[in-house]
Amino acid sequence: MVDVVARDVRFHVQRISPPEGAPADRPVVVFLHGLILDNLSSFYYTLAGPVAGTGAETIMYDLRGHGRSQRPPAGYTVDDAVDDLAALLTELGVQQPVFLVGNSFGGVVALRFALRHPHDVAGLVVIEAHTVGDGAGDWTEHMSNTLTVTALGLAHDDLADQLSKLGDRKLARAARLAGELLNGTTLIDDVAATPPLHGPELAAIRCPVLAVYGVHSDLAAAGRQLAGLLPDCTLHMIPDQAHTVLREATPLVRTLVLDWLHRHTAAS
Amino acid sequence: MTAPDTSQLLDHLRADLAEVMGDDVLLAVDITPDTRFDDDLALESIEFVALGEILRERYGERVDFPGFIAGMELDEIMSLTVGRLLAYISDRLAESATV
Repeated sequence: MVDVVARDVRFHVQRISPPEGAPADRPVVVFLHGLILDNLSSFYYTLAGPVAGTGAETIMYDLRGHGRSQRPPAGYTVDDAVDDLAALLTELGVQQPVFLVGNSFGGVVALRFALRHPHDVAGLVVIEAHTVGDGAGDWTEHMSNTLTVTALGLAHDDLADQLSKLGDRKLARAARLAGELLNGTTLIDDVAATPPLHGPELAAIRCPVLAVYGVHSDLAAAGRQLAGLLPDCTLHMIPDQAHTVLREATPLVRTLVLDWLHRHTAAS
Repeated sequence: MTAPDTSQLLDHLRADLAEVMGDDVLLAVDITPDTRFDDDLALESIEFVALGEILRERYGERVDFPGFIAGMELDEIMSLTVGRLLAYISDRLAESATV
């Protein structure tokens, strides 16, 4: 299955299933990637195969506007992403509570999904999520400003065409995709408009959470606050790493996630 | 059923790459077994996922892309040659033809 339509948007979905013989009530793990240049391949090549190998059903999809999913002009708030996920799970016929694994913006979506749909979530793995804790508003504003500057640059410099002429296909495509997302949709305004999750909201998320942050990340303090506010959170700070822990410390993150999932799927 | 030979598999793969990346890739690069997906084709990681899906549609479950890349890290996967993927497809087709 590749294309699934939910909320009138065509989503690119990939699944890696466990070996034959896995029980019908096996755990379902859904992966949520980050913003702009990220897509489901971040998980496809790192966590999904090994997680499926432990007997879980895995589902990955490109968020709206990202990867190979459709890019509608609007609908990029965190609540839209939560609604997209709920609609996709319905389309895919998933009825049991799922484990969500979210990286960066995907972690924010996972947390808010757990807040709004507590009975549909068995547990969360949150990697480097922003918009939590006291500094969240500042961080979101900083990111929004950076994206706005980037968007202006992409619109005026015709960077994609120049890169294409230089023969750098990957960079040219990245610049074109970023330009279309930042200048052709409401993404920047939508992301900036989403308020951070505050203490009482985080305290209401009762499911078990694994939080993974880089020691040198701008979000390291947010990770510690998250762990302090969530009722059932295991925090791992990865040494020598910043925001890109999933990409740069893949084997360690994989071990942490597999161990945590093993303990919590056995419990559920 | 006779398994297709390597040159047929290469022709199929050229067509599949054009479907994923656009026809321009066939004009820009002479795709041979030595061609590297990353350095020579500039294939993006999400496009490699899409290629895996097309291979499954073309050859069925016996060509299992997630199984093929299992145990490899991303850099290793993206630096694979066309020949290495063709060898995997060929082995799997030959295996299922003899069962």
